Amino acid sequence: MTNSLLAQRFPRVRARLDRIHAAWNSIGVQTQFYAQAIGSIGDAATNYRTELIRLIATMGLGTGALAVVGGTVAIVGFLTMTTGALVAVQGYNQFASVGVEALTGFASAFFNVRLIAPGTTAVALSATIGAGATAQLGAMRINEEIDALEVIGIRSVSYLASTRVAAGVIVVIPLYCVAVIMSFISSRLGTTVIYGQGSGVYDHYFNTFLNTNDLLWSFGQSVAITVVIMLVHTYYGYTASGGPAGVGEAVGRAVRTSLIVAAIVLVMISLALYGQDGNFHLAG
Amino acid sequence: MIALGPAAKPVGALGGFFAMTLDVFIAIARPPFAWREYLNQTWFVARVSLVPALMLTVPYTVLLVFTFNILLIEFGAADFSGTGAAIGTVSQIGPIVTVLVVAGAGSTAMCADLGARTIREELDAMRVMGIDPIQALVVPRVLAATTVALALSATVIIVGLAGGFVFAVFIQHVPPGSFVAGLTVLTHGADVAVALVKAAVFGLAAGLIACYKGISVGGGPAGVGNAVNETVVFTFMALFAINVIATAVGVKITVV
Repeated sequence: MTNSLLAQRFPRVRARLDRIHAAWNSIGVQTQFYAQAIGSIGDAATNYRTELIRLIATMGLGTGALAVVGGTVAIVGFLTMTTGALVAVQGYNQFASVGVEALTGFASAFFNVRLIAPGTTAVALSATIGAGATAQLGAMRINEEIDALEVIGIRSVSYLASTRVAAGVIVVIPLYCVAVIMSFISSRLGTTVIYGQGSGVYDHYFNTFLNTNDLLWSFGQSVAITVVIMLVHTYYGYTASGGPAGVGEAVGRAVRTSLIVAAIVLVMISLALYGQDGNFHLAG
Repeated sequence: MIALGPAAKPVGALGGFFAMTLDVFIAIARPPFAWREYLNQTWFVARVSLVPALMLTVPYTVLLVFTFNILLIEFGAADFSGTGAAIGTVSQIGPIVTVLVVAGAGSTAMCADLGARTIREELDAMRVMGIDPIQALVVPRVLAATTVALALSATVIIVGLAGGFVFAVFIQHVPPGSFVAGLTVLTHGADVAVALVKAAVFGLAAGLIACYKGISVGGGPAGVGNAVNETVVFTFMALFAINVIATAVGVKITVV
Protein backbone atom coordinates (compact mmCIF):
# COMPACT_ATOMS: atom_id res chain seq x y z
CA MET A 1 0.00 0.00 0.00
CA THR A 2 2.75 2.43 1.01
CA ASN A 3 4.44 1.62 -2.26
CA SER A 4 1.57 2.91 -4.42
CA LEU A 5 1.08 5.90 -2.13
CA LEU A 6 4.72 6.83 -2.53
CA ALA A 7 4.41 6.38 -6.30
CA GLN A 8 1.45 8.79 -6.34
CA ARG A 9 3.25 11.26 -4.15
CA PHE A 10 6.49 11.29 -6.23
CA PRO A 11 5.51 10.44 -9.83
CA ARG A 12 8.70 11.76 -11.44
CA VAL A 13 11.00 9.86 -9.09
CA ARG A 14 8.94 6.77 -9.77
CA ALA A 15 9.16 7.26 -13.54
CA ARG A 16 12.92 7.68 -13.33
CA LEU A 17 13.31 4.56 -11.19
CA ASP A 18 11.15 2.63 -13.66
CA ARG A 19 13.37 3.73 -16.52
CA ILE A 20 16.57 2.67 -14.71
CA HIS A 21 14.89 -0.62 -13.86
CA ALA A 22 13.90 -1.19 -17.51
CA ALA A 23 17.42 -0.36 -18.78
CA TRP A 24 18.95 -2.70 -16.21
CA ASN A 25 16.57 -5.49 -17.19
CA SER A 26 17.20 -4.98 -20.90
CA ILE A 27 20.88 -5.83 -20.34
CA GLY A 28 19.81 -9.14 -18.86
CA VAL A 29 17.35 -9.79 -21.67
CA GLN A 30 20.03 -9.07 -24.28
CA THR A 31 22.54 -11.36 -22.57
CA GLN A 32 19.95 -14.10 -22.44
CA PHE A 33 19.20 -13.65 -26.15
CA TYR A 34 22.89 -13.74 -27.08
CA ALA A 35 23.54 -16.85 -24.99
CA GLN A 36 20.52 -18.56 -26.53
CA ALA A 37 21.54 -17.57 -30.07
CA ILE A 38 25.11 -18.84 -29.63
CA GLY A 39 23.97 -21.99 -27.84
CA SER A 40 21.53 -22.84 -30.63
CA ILE A 41 24.11 -22.65 -33.43
CA GLY A 42 24.56 -26.43 -33.30
CA ASP A 43 20.79 -26.88 -33.47
CA ALA A 44 20.58 -24.49 -36.43
CA ALA A 45 23.39 -26.26 -38.28
CA THR A 46 21.75 -29.69 -37.93
CA ASN A 47 18.03 -28.92 -38.18
CA TYR A 48 17.82 -25.76 -40.30
CA ARG A 49 20.63 -26.47 -42.75
CA THR A 50 18.75 -25.35 -45.90
CA GLU A 51 17.96 -21.99 -44.28
CA LEU A 52 21.62 -21.63 -43.30
CA ILE A 53 22.81 -22.28 -46.86
CA ARG A 54 20.20 -19.92 -48.30
CA LEU A 55 21.36 -17.18 -45.91
CA ILE A 56 25.02 -17.67 -46.86
CA ALA A 57 24.08 -17.21 -50.51
CA THR A 58 21.96 -14.08 -49.93
CA MET A 59 24.51 -12.50 -47.56
CA GLY A 60 27.33 -12.87 -50.05
CA LEU A 61 25.32 -11.41 -52.90
CA GLY A 62 23.01 -8.99 -51.12
CA THR A 63 19.36 -8.36 -51.95
CA GLY A 64 17.45 -5.75 -53.96
CA ALA A 65 19.39 -2.66 -54.95
CA LEU A 66 22.49 -3.88 -53.11
CA ALA A 67 22.74 -6.89 -55.43
CA VAL A 68 22.69 -4.52 -58.43
CA VAL A 69 25.88 -2.74 -57.30
CA GLY A 70 27.63 -6.10 -56.91
CA GLY A 71 26.60 -7.39 -53.48
CA THR A 72 28.40 -7.43 -50.16
CA VAL A 73 31.68 -8.60 -51.71
CA ALA A 74 31.85 -5.58 -54.04
CA ILE A 75 30.92 -3.15 -51.23
CA VAL A 76 33.54 -4.51 -48.83
CA GLY A 77 36.11 -4.53 -51.63
CA PHE A 78 35.27 -0.95 -52.53
CA LEU A 79 35.50 0.30 -48.92
CA THR A 80 38.88 -1.33 -48.25
CA MET A 81 40.13 -0.14 -51.63
CA THR A 82 39.45 3.46 -50.59
CA THR A 83 41.04 3.00 -47.15
CA GLY A 84 44.06 1.36 -48.76
CA ALA A 85 44.35 4.33 -51.10
CA LEU A 86 44.22 6.50 -47.99
CA VAL A 87 47.41 4.82 -46.72
CA ALA A 88 49.07 5.78 -49.99
CA VAL A 89 47.81 9.39 -49.94
CA GLN A 90 48.27 10.17 -46.26
CA GLY A 91 51.22 7.85 -45.57
CA TYR A 92 53.29 8.82 -48.61
CA ASN A 93 52.84 12.55 -48.09
CA GLN A 94 53.39 12.53 -44.33
CA PHE A 95 56.47 10.35 -44.69
CA ALA A 96 57.70 12.58 -47.52
CA SER A 97 57.37 15.63 -45.27
CA VAL A 98 59.99 14.08 -42.94
CA GLY A 99 61.99 12.64 -45.85
CA VAL A 100 61.35 8.90 -45.44
CA GLU A 101 58.71 8.24 -48.14
CA ALA A 102 60.49 4.93 -48.89
CA LEU A 103 58.71 3.56 -45.80
CA THR A 104 55.21 3.76 -47.37
CA GLY A 105 55.42 0.03 -48.17
CA PHE A 106 56.08 -0.60 -44.51
CA ALA A 107 53.07 1.54 -43.55
CA SER A 108 50.88 -0.56 -45.85
CA ALA A 109 52.10 -3.84 -44.33
CA PHE A 110 51.80 -2.56 -40.75
CA PHE A 111 48.71 -0.30 -40.59
CA ASN A 112 46.59 -2.11 -43.19
CA VAL A 113 46.90 -5.40 -41.35
CA ARG A 114 46.67 -4.20 -37.76
CA LEU A 115 44.22 -1.30 -37.96
CA ILE A 116 42.56 -0.67 -41.26
CA ALA A 117 41.48 -4.09 -42.53
CA PRO A 118 39.70 -5.21 -39.32
CA GLY A 119 38.25 -1.72 -38.73
CA THR A 120 36.92 -1.29 -42.24
CA THR A 121 35.61 -4.84 -42.35
CA ALA A 122 33.69 -4.15 -39.15
CA VAL A 123 32.11 -0.98 -40.59
CA ALA A 124 31.28 -2.68 -43.88
CA LEU A 125 29.76 -5.77 -42.27
CA SER A 126 27.65 -3.72 -39.90
CA ALA A 127 26.34 -1.64 -42.80
CA THR A 128 25.66 -4.48 -45.24
CA ILE A 129 24.78 -7.88 -43.79
CA GLY A 130 24.18 -6.57 -40.26
CA ALA A 131 21.73 -3.80 -41.18
CA GLY A 132 20.17 -6.14 -43.74
CA ALA A 133 19.50 -8.74 -41.04
CA THR A 134 17.92 -6.12 -38.75
CA ALA A 135 15.69 -4.88 -41.58
CA GLN A 136 14.55 -8.39 -42.50
CA LEU A 137 13.90 -9.55 -38.93
CA GLY A 138 12.26 -6.24 -38.01
CA ALA A 139 9.84 -6.49 -40.94
CA MET A 140 9.06 -10.09 -39.96
CA ARG A 141 8.39 -9.01 -36.37
CA ILE A 142 6.10 -6.15 -37.46
CA ASN A 143 4.15 -8.48 -39.77
CA GLU A 144 3.87 -11.00 -36.89
CA GLU A 145 5.70 -13.60 -38.94
CA ILE A 146 7.96 -14.47 -35.99
CA ASP A 147 4.94 -15.28 -33.82
CA ALA A 148 3.62 -17.41 -36.69
CA LEU A 149 6.91 -19.34 -36.77
CA GLU A 150 6.61 -20.08 -33.05
CA VAL A 151 3.01 -21.23 -33.53
CA ILE A 152 3.95 -23.77 -36.19
CA GLY A 153 6.62 -25.18 -33.90
CA ILE A 154 9.82 -23.67 -35.30
CA ARG A 155 12.31 -22.41 -32.70
CA SER A 156 12.51 -18.82 -33.90
CA VAL A 157 15.79 -17.85 -32.19
CA SER A 158 17.75 -20.70 -33.71
CA TYR A 159 15.91 -20.49 -37.07
CA LEU A 160 16.36 -16.71 -37.46
CA ALA A 161 19.23 -15.55 -35.21
CA SER A 162 21.62 -18.50 -34.87
CA THR A 163 21.54 -19.23 -38.60
CA ARG A 164 22.43 -15.59 -39.32
CA VAL A 165 25.33 -15.57 -36.86
CA ALA A 166 26.71 -18.81 -38.34
CA ALA A 167 26.21 -17.59 -41.91
CA GLY A 168 27.95 -14.29 -41.05
CA VAL A 169 31.02 -16.13 -39.73
CA ILE A 170 31.19 -18.27 -42.88
CA VAL A 171 30.70 -15.30 -45.22
CA VAL A 172 33.36 -13.18 -43.48
CA ILE A 173 36.16 -15.61 -44.42
CA PRO A 174 36.17 -14.79 -48.16
CA LEU A 175 35.15 -11.20 -47.41
CA TYR A 176 38.19 -10.67 -45.19
CA CYS A 177 40.48 -12.05 -47.89
CA VAL A 178 38.96 -9.68 -50.45
CA ALA A 179 39.31 -6.79 -47.98
CA VAL A 180 43.00 -7.38 -47.24
CA ILE A 181 43.95 -7.99 -50.87
CA MET A 182 42.11 -4.87 -52.05
CA SER A 183 43.78 -2.71 -49.40
CA PHE A 184 47.25 -4.02 -50.34
CA ILE A 185 46.65 -3.56 -54.08
CA SER A 186 45.29 -0.04 -53.77
CA SER A 187 48.08 1.07 -51.41
CA ARG A 188 50.66 -0.28 -53.85
CA LEU A 189 49.02 1.23 -56.94
CA GLY A 190 48.50 4.57 -55.23
CA THR A 191 52.12 4.78 -54.11
CA THR A 192 53.86 3.41 -57.20
CA VAL A 193 51.61 4.55 -60.05
CA ILE A 194 50.13 7.83 -58.80
CA TYR A 195 52.94 9.15 -56.60
CA GLY A 196 55.64 7.54 -58.74
CA GLN A 197 57.69 5.66 -56.15
CA GLY A 198 59.86 2.84 -57.53
CA SER A 199 57.96 -0.44 -57.17
CA GLY A 200 61.15 -2.23 -56.04
CA VAL A 201 61.52 0.12 -53.06
CA TYR A 202 57.85 -0.32 -52.14
CA ASP A 203 57.93 -4.12 -52.46
CA HIS A 204 61.15 -4.41 -50.45
CA TYR A 205 59.78 -2.63 -47.39
CA PHE A 206 56.36 -4.21 -47.80
CA ASN A 207 57.71 -7.77 -47.90
CA THR A 208 60.22 -7.16 -45.12
CA PHE A 209 57.57 -6.00 -42.67
CA LEU A 210 54.60 -8.16 -43.66
CA ASN A 211 54.20 -10.51 -40.70
CA THR A 212 52.24 -13.76 -41.19
CA ASN A 213 51.28 -13.93 -37.51
CA ASP A 214 49.83 -10.42 -37.66
CA LEU A 215 47.73 -11.41 -40.66
CA LEU A 216 46.32 -14.47 -38.88
CA TRP A 217 45.55 -12.47 -35.74
CA SER A 218 43.89 -9.78 -37.81
CA PHE A 219 41.75 -12.47 -39.44
CA GLY A 220 40.80 -13.80 -36.01
CA GLN A 221 39.83 -10.27 -34.93
CA SER A 222 37.54 -9.95 -37.94
CA VAL A 223 35.78 -13.24 -37.15
CA ALA A 224 35.26 -12.21 -33.50
CA ILE A 225 33.89 -8.82 -34.58
CA THR A 226 31.51 -10.52 -37.01
CA VAL A 227 30.01 -12.67 -34.26
CA VAL A 228 29.43 -9.60 -32.08
CA ILE A 229 27.97 -7.54 -34.93
CA MET A 230 25.57 -10.26 -36.06
CA LEU A 231 24.39 -10.86 -32.47
CA VAL A 232 23.65 -7.16 -31.90
CA HIS A 233 21.89 -6.75 -35.25
CA THR A 234 19.73 -9.86 -34.91
CA TYR A 235 18.71 -8.79 -31.39
CA TYR A 236 17.54 -5.34 -32.51
CA GLY A 237 15.68 -6.83 -35.49
CA TYR A 238 14.11 -9.59 -33.39
CA THR A 239 12.76 -7.09 -30.84
CA ALA A 240 11.70 -4.31 -33.26
CA SER A 241 8.36 -2.60 -32.59
CA GLY A 242 6.36 0.41 -33.72
CA GLY A 243 5.33 -0.03 -37.35
CA PRO A 244 7.34 0.83 -40.49
CA ALA A 245 9.22 3.69 -38.79
CA GLY A 246 10.06 1.33 -35.92
CA VAL A 247 11.90 -1.00 -38.30
CA GLY A 248 13.98 1.90 -39.61
CA GLU A 249 14.77 3.12 -36.10
CA ALA A 250 15.78 -0.38 -35.05
CA VAL A 251 18.22 -0.48 -37.97
CA GLY A 252 19.74 2.84 -36.91
CA ARG A 253 20.03 1.83 -33.27
CA ALA A 254 21.57 -1.52 -34.24
CA VAL A 255 24.16 0.14 -36.53
CA ARG A 256 25.33 2.56 -33.90
CA THR A 257 25.42 -0.01 -31.09
CA SER A 258 27.31 -2.54 -33.18
CA LEU A 259 29.85 0.05 -34.38
CA ILE A 260 30.66 0.96 -30.77
CA VAL A 261 30.78 -2.62 -29.55
CA ALA A 262 32.94 -3.65 -32.51
CA ALA A 263 35.39 -0.81 -31.83
CA ILE A 264 35.69 -1.80 -28.16
CA VAL A 265 36.18 -5.47 -29.07
CA LEU A 266 38.83 -4.46 -31.61
CA VAL A 267 40.79 -2.46 -29.02
CA MET A 268 40.53 -5.15 -26.38
CA ILE A 269 41.77 -7.88 -28.72
CA SER A 270 44.59 -5.66 -30.03
CA LEU A 271 45.77 -4.84 -26.51
CA ALA A 272 45.59 -8.51 -25.53
CA LEU A 273 47.47 -9.66 -28.64
CA TYR A 274 50.18 -7.10 -29.05
CA GLY A 275 50.53 -6.22 -25.36
CA GLN A 276 53.28 -4.00 -24.06
CA ASP A 277 56.14 -5.13 -26.31
CA GLY A 278 54.03 -4.91 -29.46
CA ASN A 279 55.32 -8.08 -31.14
CA PHE A 280 57.20 -5.93 -33.62
CA HIS A 281 60.92 -6.07 -34.33
CA LEU A 282 62.42 -3.49 -36.61
CA ALA A 283 65.88 -5.02 -36.55
CA GLY A 284 64.61 -8.52 -37.42
CA MET B 1 7.03 3.29 -72.28
CA ILE B 2 9.92 0.99 -73.09
CA ALA B 3 10.93 -1.45 -70.37
CA LEU B 4 14.70 -1.32 -70.11
CA GLY B 5 14.91 -4.04 -67.49
CA PRO B 6 16.85 -4.05 -64.23
CA ALA B 7 19.93 -2.44 -65.80
CA ALA B 8 18.18 0.93 -66.10
CA LYS B 9 17.08 1.02 -62.45
CA PRO B 10 20.31 2.19 -60.79
CA VAL B 11 20.79 4.78 -63.53
CA GLY B 12 17.29 6.09 -62.87
CA ALA B 13 17.95 6.16 -59.12
CA LEU B 14 21.19 8.09 -59.66
CA GLY B 15 19.39 10.57 -61.89
CA GLY B 16 16.61 10.94 -59.33
CA PHE B 17 19.18 11.58 -56.62
CA PHE B 18 20.89 14.36 -58.56
CA ALA B 19 17.53 15.88 -59.51
CA MET B 20 16.53 16.01 -55.84
CA THR B 21 19.94 17.46 -54.90
CA LEU B 22 19.44 20.24 -57.41
CA ASP B 23 15.92 20.89 -56.07
CA VAL B 24 17.35 21.06 -52.54
CA PHE B 25 20.05 23.58 -53.48
CA ILE B 26 17.49 25.78 -55.22
CA ALA B 27 15.06 25.51 -52.29
CA ILE B 28 17.78 26.48 -49.78
CA ALA B 29 18.10 29.88 -51.42
CA ARG B 30 14.37 30.43 -51.78
CA PRO B 31 12.34 31.76 -48.80
CA PRO B 32 10.52 30.82 -46.61
CA PHE B 33 13.08 28.79 -44.68
CA ALA B 34 11.62 26.20 -42.26
CA TRP B 35 13.44 27.42 -39.14
CA ARG B 36 11.43 25.46 -36.62
CA GLU B 37 11.92 22.16 -38.44
CA TYR B 38 15.64 22.93 -38.89
CA LEU B 39 16.17 23.57 -35.17
CA ASN B 40 14.13 20.50 -34.21
CA GLN B 41 16.10 18.27 -36.57
CA THR B 42 19.46 19.70 -35.51
CA TRP B 43 18.63 19.08 -31.88
CA PHE B 44 17.39 15.58 -32.70
CA VAL B 45 20.48 14.57 -34.72
CA ALA B 46 22.81 16.06 -32.11
CA ARG B 47 20.98 14.25 -29.32
CA VAL B 48 21.18 10.80 -30.94
CA SER B 49 24.76 11.27 -32.21
CA LEU B 50 26.71 12.80 -29.33
CA VAL B 51 27.14 9.85 -26.97
CA PRO B 52 27.79 7.23 -29.72
CA ALA B 53 30.32 9.56 -31.38
CA LEU B 54 32.30 9.99 -28.18
CA MET B 55 32.11 6.28 -27.38
CA LEU B 56 33.35 5.42 -30.88
CA THR B 57 36.18 7.93 -31.05
CA VAL B 58 37.92 6.87 -27.84
CA PRO B 59 38.52 3.20 -28.82
CA TYR B 60 39.68 4.14 -32.32
CA THR B 61 42.11 6.79 -31.07
CA VAL B 62 43.43 4.49 -28.39
CA LEU B 63 43.98 1.82 -31.02
CA LEU B 64 45.79 4.28 -33.29
CA VAL B 65 48.01 5.65 -30.50
CA PHE B 66 48.76 2.13 -29.30
CA THR B 67 49.75 0.85 -32.76
CA PHE B 68 51.74 3.97 -33.60
CA ASN B 69 53.59 3.91 -30.28
CA ILE B 70 54.69 0.31 -30.80
CA LEU B 71 56.48 1.63 -33.86
CA LEU B 72 57.87 4.75 -32.23
CA ILE B 73 59.13 2.94 -29.13
CA GLU B 74 60.96 0.53 -31.45
CA PHE B 75 62.59 3.51 -33.18
CA GLY B 76 63.32 5.08 -29.81
CA ALA B 77 61.19 8.10 -30.74
CA ALA B 78 58.29 7.78 -28.31
CA ASP B 79 58.50 11.55 -27.74
CA PHE B 80 56.78 12.02 -31.09
CA SER B 81 53.74 9.99 -30.02
CA GLY B 82 51.64 13.15 -30.05
CA THR B 83 52.51 13.80 -33.70
CA GLY B 84 51.04 10.49 -34.83
CA ALA B 85 47.96 10.96 -32.65
CA ALA B 86 47.39 14.44 -34.10
CA ILE B 87 47.77 13.36 -37.75
CA GLY B 88 45.48 10.36 -37.32
CA THR B 89 42.84 12.03 -35.18
CA VAL B 90 42.55 15.38 -36.91
CA SER B 91 42.76 14.28 -40.52
CA GLN B 92 41.12 10.85 -40.47
CA ILE B 93 39.48 9.55 -37.29
CA GLY B 94 37.72 12.84 -36.42
CA PRO B 95 35.83 13.35 -39.68
CA ILE B 96 35.25 9.62 -40.32
CA VAL B 97 33.91 8.80 -36.85
CA THR B 98 31.67 11.86 -36.94
CA VAL B 99 30.18 10.81 -40.16
CA LEU B 100 29.85 7.13 -39.34
CA VAL B 101 27.74 8.22 -36.40
CA VAL B 102 25.78 10.94 -38.21
CA ALA B 103 25.08 8.40 -40.97
CA GLY B 104 24.44 5.48 -38.64
CA ALA B 105 22.36 7.30 -36.04
CA GLY B 106 20.99 10.49 -37.61
CA SER B 107 20.40 9.71 -41.26
CA THR B 108 18.93 6.26 -40.60
CA ALA B 109 16.33 7.85 -38.32
CA MET B 110 15.66 10.57 -40.94
CA CYS B 111 15.22 7.97 -43.66
CA ALA B 112 12.91 5.88 -41.45
CA ASP B 113 10.81 8.93 -40.57
CA LEU B 114 10.52 10.20 -44.16
CA GLY B 115 9.96 6.66 -45.45
CA ALA B 116 7.08 6.08 -43.05
CA ARG B 117 5.53 9.41 -44.15
CA THR B 118 5.94 8.47 -47.82
CA ILE B 119 4.22 5.12 -47.27
CA ARG B 120 1.32 6.80 -45.48
CA GLU B 121 1.12 9.21 -48.47
CA GLU B 122 1.67 12.23 -46.24
CA LEU B 123 4.07 13.73 -48.78
CA ASP B 124 1.41 13.55 -51.52
CA ALA B 125 -1.06 15.18 -49.12
CA MET B 126 1.41 18.03 -48.55
CA ARG B 127 1.79 18.55 -52.29
CA VAL B 128 -2.00 18.68 -52.65
CA MET B 129 -2.11 21.41 -50.01
CA GLY B 130 0.49 23.38 -51.97
CA ILE B 131 3.38 22.76 -49.57
CA ASP B 132 6.62 21.70 -51.21
CA PRO B 133 7.94 18.70 -49.21
CA ILE B 134 11.49 19.46 -50.39
CA GLN B 135 11.30 22.91 -48.86
CA ALA B 136 9.38 21.93 -45.73
CA LEU B 137 11.04 18.61 -44.87
CA VAL B 138 14.16 17.85 -46.92
CA VAL B 139 16.04 21.18 -46.77
CA PRO B 140 15.94 21.46 -42.94
CA ARG B 141 17.07 17.84 -42.57
CA VAL B 142 19.98 18.14 -45.00
CA LEU B 143 21.16 21.37 -43.34
CA ALA B 144 20.72 19.84 -39.88
CA ALA B 145 22.95 16.89 -40.80
CA THR B 146 25.58 19.30 -42.16
CA THR B 147 25.49 21.53 -39.07
CA VAL B 148 25.72 18.65 -36.63
CA ALA B 149 28.56 16.95 -38.55
CA LEU B 150 30.53 20.20 -38.47
CA ALA B 151 29.92 20.82 -34.77
CA LEU B 152 30.41 17.21 -33.77
CA SER B 153 33.71 16.74 -35.60
CA ALA B 154 35.37 19.42 -33.46
CA THR B 155 34.12 17.71 -30.30
CA VAL B 156 35.23 14.33 -31.56
CA ILE B 157 38.74 15.59 -32.35
CA ILE B 158 39.13 17.13 -28.87
CA VAL B 159 37.85 14.04 -27.09
CA GLY B 160 39.93 11.75 -29.30
CA LEU B 161 43.11 13.67 -28.55
CA ALA B 162 42.28 13.66 -24.84
CA GLY B 163 41.75 9.87 -24.96
CA GLY B 164 45.03 9.43 -26.82
CA PHE B 165 46.80 11.63 -24.25
CA VAL B 166 45.49 9.62 -21.29
CA PHE B 167 46.40 6.33 -22.94
CA ALA B 168 49.88 7.41 -24.08
CA VAL B 169 50.83 9.14 -20.83
CA PHE B 170 49.36 6.88 -18.18
CA ILE B 171 49.62 3.47 -19.86
CA GLN B 172 52.52 3.74 -22.29
CA HIS B 173 54.53 6.21 -20.16
CA VAL B 174 55.16 8.87 -22.78
CA PRO B 175 56.16 12.18 -21.10
CA PRO B 176 53.08 14.45 -21.11
CA GLY B 177 55.04 17.53 -22.16
CA SER B 178 56.52 15.92 -25.25
CA PHE B 179 53.14 14.44 -26.23
CA VAL B 180 51.59 17.91 -26.22
CA ALA B 181 54.61 19.47 -27.92
CA GLY B 182 54.46 16.77 -30.62
CA LEU B 183 50.83 17.53 -31.50
CA THR B 184 51.64 20.52 -33.67
CA VAL B 185 54.79 19.22 -35.39
CA LEU B 186 53.03 18.11 -38.58
CA THR B 187 49.44 19.21 -37.91
CA HIS B 188 48.69 22.90 -38.33
CA GLY B 189 45.66 25.16 -38.50
CA ALA B 190 45.15 24.40 -42.18
CA ASP B 191 44.80 20.67 -41.42
CA VAL B 192 42.11 21.42 -38.85
CA ALA B 193 40.28 23.61 -41.37
CA VAL B 194 40.45 20.85 -44.00
CA ALA B 195 39.12 18.34 -41.44
CA LEU B 196 36.15 20.58 -40.60
CA VAL B 197 35.35 21.17 -44.27
CA LYS B 198 35.55 17.43 -44.85
CA ALA B 199 33.13 16.75 -41.99
CA ALA B 200 30.66 19.33 -43.33
CA VAL B 201 30.75 17.81 -46.84
CA PHE B 202 30.24 14.34 -45.35
CA GLY B 203 27.25 15.56 -43.36
CA LEU B 204 25.73 17.13 -46.47
CA ALA B 205 26.17 13.91 -48.46
CA ALA B 206 24.72 11.79 -45.64
CA GLY B 207 21.67 14.06 -45.32
CA LEU B 208 21.02 14.10 -49.08
CA ILE B 209 21.28 10.32 -49.45
CA ALA B 210 19.05 9.69 -46.41
CA CYS B 211 16.36 12.09 -47.66
CA TYR B 212 16.45 10.69 -51.20
CA LYS B 213 16.08 7.09 -49.99
CA GLY B 214 13.35 8.25 -47.60
CA ILE B 215 11.16 10.03 -50.15
CA SER B 216 11.59 7.33 -52.83
CA VAL B 217 10.62 4.40 -50.61
CA GLY B 218 8.00 1.80 -51.58
CA GLY B 219 6.54 -1.49 -50.37
CA GLY B 220 5.40 -1.42 -46.74
CA PRO B 221 7.45 -1.97 -43.55
CA ALA B 222 9.95 -4.24 -45.35
CA GLY B 223 10.47 -1.43 -47.89
CA VAL B 224 11.32 1.07 -45.15
CA GLY B 225 13.74 -1.41 -43.56
CA ASN B 226 15.45 -1.99 -46.91
CA ALA B 227 15.59 1.74 -47.64
CA VAL B 228 17.34 2.35 -44.31
CA ASN B 229 19.75 -0.49 -45.00
CA GLU B 230 20.55 0.96 -48.43
CA THR B 231 20.96 4.42 -46.86
CA VAL B 232 23.64 3.08 -44.52
CA VAL B 233 25.47 1.24 -47.31
CA PHE B 234 25.35 4.07 -49.87
CA THR B 235 26.31 6.74 -47.31
CA PHE B 236 29.31 4.75 -46.12
CA MET B 237 30.42 4.11 -49.71
CA ALA B 238 29.99 7.77 -50.67
CA LEU B 239 31.85 8.90 -47.57
CA PHE B 240 34.83 6.65 -48.05
CA ALA B 241 35.07 7.69 -51.71
CA ILE B 242 34.78 11.40 -50.83
CA ASN B 243 37.34 10.90 -48.06
CA VAL B 244 40.10 9.68 -50.41
CA ILE B 245 39.56 12.59 -52.80
CA ALA B 246 39.25 15.15 -49.99
CA THR B 247 42.39 13.80 -48.31
CA ALA B 248 44.37 13.99 -51.56
CA VAL B 249 43.22 17.59 -52.10
CA GLY B 250 43.80 18.48 -48.43
CA VAL B 251 47.32 17.05 -48.49
CA LYS B 252 48.10 19.16 -51.56
CA ILE B 253 46.98 22.25 -49.66
CA THR B 254 48.60 21.57 -46.30
CA VAL B 255 51.79 19.56 -46.91
CA VAL B 256 54.29 21.78 -48.65
